[in-house]
Amino acid sequence: MFARTLLFRLSTALVTLFGVAVVVFVLVRVAPGNPIAMMLPPGATEEDIARLTALYGFDKSLPEQFVIWLGGVLQGDFGTSITLRQPVDQLVLSRLPATLELSVMALFIALALGGAVAVIGARRRGTGTELGLDLGSAAVLSIPDFLWGLLFVLLFGVLWPVLSISGRIDPRIEFEFATRFYVVEGILRGRFDVVGSTLAHMLMPAMALALPLAAMIAQVLKQNLKEVLRLDYTNLSRVHGFSETAVILRDALQNAALPTLTLVGVQFTFLIGGTVIVERLFAYEGLGNMAIDAVINRDLPLIQGIVLVFAVLFIAINLAVDLSYALLNPRLRNG
Amino acid sequence: MADTTLTAPRSRNRGLNLRFWLPLFWVVLLILAAVFAPWVAPRDPLAQDLFLERLPPFFMKGTEPGYWLGTDSLGRDVLSRMIYGARIALIVSFTAATLTCIFGSVLGLVAGYFGGWWDTVISRLVDIWMSFPPVLFAVLLVAVMGTGLWSVIAAIVLIDWTRFARVIRAETLVQARMDYVDSARIGGARRISTLVSEILPNVLPSIIALLTLEMGIAVIVEAILSFVNLSISSDDPTWGSMIAEGRGAIYFAWWVLLFPLIALFLTVLSFSQLGEGMKQRFDPVLQ
Amino acid sequence: MTDRPTLDILQLTVTLRGGRKLLRDVSLKVQPGEVRALVGESGAGKSMIGKAVLGILPPNIKPTEGEILLDTHHLNAMTPVTRRRTVSKIASLIPQDPLTALNPVRKIGPQIVDPLIHIHGWSRDKARERARELLDRVQIRNTDRVLQSYPHELSGGMRQRVLIASAFAPSPRLIVADEPTTALDVTVQKQILRLIRELQQETGTAVLFVTHDMGVVAKISQRVSVLFAGRVMEDAATEDVFRNPQHPYTEALIAATPSYSDLNRSFSPVPPALIADLHAKIAAEEAAS
Repeated sequence: MFARTLLFRLSTALVTLFGVAVVVFVLVRVAPGNPIAMMLPPGATEEDIARLTALYGFDKSLPEQFVIWLGGVLQGDFGTSITLRQPVDQLVLSRLPATLELSVMALFIALALGGAVAVIGARRRGTGTELGLDLGSAAVLSIPDFLWGLLFVLLFGVLWPVLSISGRIDPRIEFEFATRFYVVEGILRGRFDVVGSTLAHMLMPAMALALPLAAMIAQVLKQNLKEVLRLDYTNLSRVHGFSETAVILRDALQNAALPTLTLVGVQFTFLIGGTVIVERLFAYEGLGNMAIDAVINRDLPLIQGIVLVFAVLFIAINLAVDLSYALLNPRLRNG
Repeated sequence: MADTTLTAPRSRNRGLNLRFWLPLFWVVLLILAAVFAPWVAPRDPLAQDLFLERLPPFFMKGTEPGYWLGTDSLGRDVLSRMIYGARIALIVSFTAATLTCIFGSVLGLVAGYFGGWWDTVISRLVDIWMSFPPVLFAVLLVAVMGTGLWSVIAAIVLIDWTRFARVIRAETLVQARMDYVDSARIGGARRISTLVSEILPNVLPSIIALLTLEMGIAVIVEAILSFVNLSISSDDPTWGSMIAEGRGAIYFAWWVLLFPLIALFLTVLSFSQLGEGMKQRFDPVLQ
Repeated sequence: MTDRPTLDILQLTVTLRGGRKLLRDVSLKVQPGEVRALVGESGAGKSMIGKAVLGILPPNIKPTEGEILLDTHHLNAMTPVTRRRTVSKIASLIPQDPLTALNPVRKIGPQIVDPLIHIHGWSRDKARERARELLDRVQIRNTDRVLQSYPHELSGGMRQRVLIASAFAPSPRLIVADEPTTALDVTVQKQILRLIRELQQETGTAVLFVTHDMGVVAKISQRVSVLFAGRVMEDAATEDVFRNPQHPYTEALIAATPSYSDLNRSFSPVPPALIADLHAKIAAEEAAS
């Protein structure tokens, strides 16, 4: 039963992915303006343009180009960036770790912050504290990451400059990275100056990404907690002498977290989508920042590659959420 | 025991009214500013004066009279640019949100009510759309269509119709299963007319709430596109272009960023609160 | 022996936020070894009494007047922390619905054992030993398997047995049984009722038994308090109540009870006229005071 569901999910994921590939391929090709002409110096001859056009395959018909491109992608060949003249897969892989580290840090912040607010709200249910937290999280939820980012730039970058507002790491730090996962590698190799500097650069963009999700987690988790806290097994724990906080943490949290999980999964993909503009805002060297440059420079192969990577990421996360939901719930585990 | 919550809603209601009227006040203020911009704005929003560059706002030292919120790096009046910026923000917001709403809701209704192939195709399209990072998608669309007002509006419609389609499809599914729809159908009502007369009125509260929310989102998308220099045009004053300019000059003239940012905060917050308010006001279930 | 009651409630008033009184001037005693039934229709406030004693009223409901003496401890005068510790050592609860009374994501074992460690400070081995002993006593075979199970793997009757075992395990002096058979089907109801009575008699635990069913009252209790609209209408020995009810409402409740022995007798609900009459009388009294 479980295997069949998995198979069905995988096949729909593949269809979706194919759809994404078609849409992005068609979209970038109906764009006006010849990208090849833009990369040559003024005074290039028609012949030069024709030669380069053939080199990048732009002289063939659209379906032909699509088949060639898709065939390449399936073999791991995403083409060559027009502006940066490097293989797209290398470029994408060099930037993806930065975006992943940022997204995961934002997710952790959102879970910790949202979870804490939910627990406090549930602990103080029915009081002014709960009403205040409700109003606060409703307001925080309606402000998107872009505006939070700008606010942080202004507050902690300029008016009270405690954090850096651009880049990923202090350029004065000398360190030969073997991978692009700066935080992970810094920890593994015990260079905590590297870790500290990277985290300090990530803190503001991660907070900007995390706040709306934290507010949403706070609302939904608190609602779920309040429902669980009415059930008799929490009453039994109270009779057994456990404090209200202990009841929430021991009994209610895990049960309330299950229905929250699906939501967090879907919202996490929105959060990753938000990295595109937030990275731009903080000049953070991630995939999204590169994507906007690619669009502005009409770097077709690079745009296609990046969009496809994002799509794979989103679809994989949704799959993982569905599966982990089944694994975490004992009723579904054996059933 | 069952009516233990009877006393709660009254106090809640008083808070809700304020949460409804304050946002409405801000939106009406914006509309007035936008409509009467030429009369309200103290200066020409495009007039540059390099002798008056980076003047600070009124509460700081070194101001010139008449430049209440200071000037930017080219000596343009920040307040006037914000007032004219409200025009573009609201035009984009109302037009784009309405079109998104119509497009997305129709698809959602069709998918939810007719089911079958309609539903399969529309749901699959929604899945594909949800696999794009929305900001990147919007930037890409404007790059493809070229900058300009209608490109921005089209981009918003093309990325955000899924929000309506998803919610309205789900609600239509629920409504279509209910009894009164069945009885209307057995009564010989034609399917389209059932959709319009029986289902649409019941999903309308959600549509209106989403529409209001979408107005706030459209303002943000426009600002983001302006920020990456892909919006209306670089000449027209928009909040997004002011923010981009302010971000560049942040160490010399932070107020160029601050004031449009405040306007964006209030606008987005207002639209989302109005949406909540509308939902509670018009939802027959909640009343 | 000075006959000191295990539970002594003196003129307890419980108020909903906003001022509505859910219980008014409720007084009752439960003597050691005695089963006191609390009977009334839904909304009469009978569950509120047990919840007030155990300190598990919803956050918007508070005891506002009166005293609760649990084994001579003045509960309403205690700080929340000492109140919790005191109650946990003396009293326990058999909840109404076995489906929602066990945490679905934790195994049965820790749900019985952990409270014992927390209440009495026992070692894990001792607590586990006690849990096995009680599960044996409530006729659960294969105790080890049950301890390793999740709640959803057990039937409703099994779960209620587990909950009874868990309630008796810390050797409390008072058990609040909050309609423990209502959610079960009729054949299981009888077994569970018999089980509670047997354990109660063996251990001599006092029980506050909340129910809406006069048939159950007759089977299990020595004394009964009849509640209507948050007030005690009648407080008497169970035998006397059935033989000679003093209050017309009690009489109507007895008449409304379908009896197992006499299923042919037509079911007659409490007459609405009587209820309206009682409400009018209460309103008049309140206006007078």
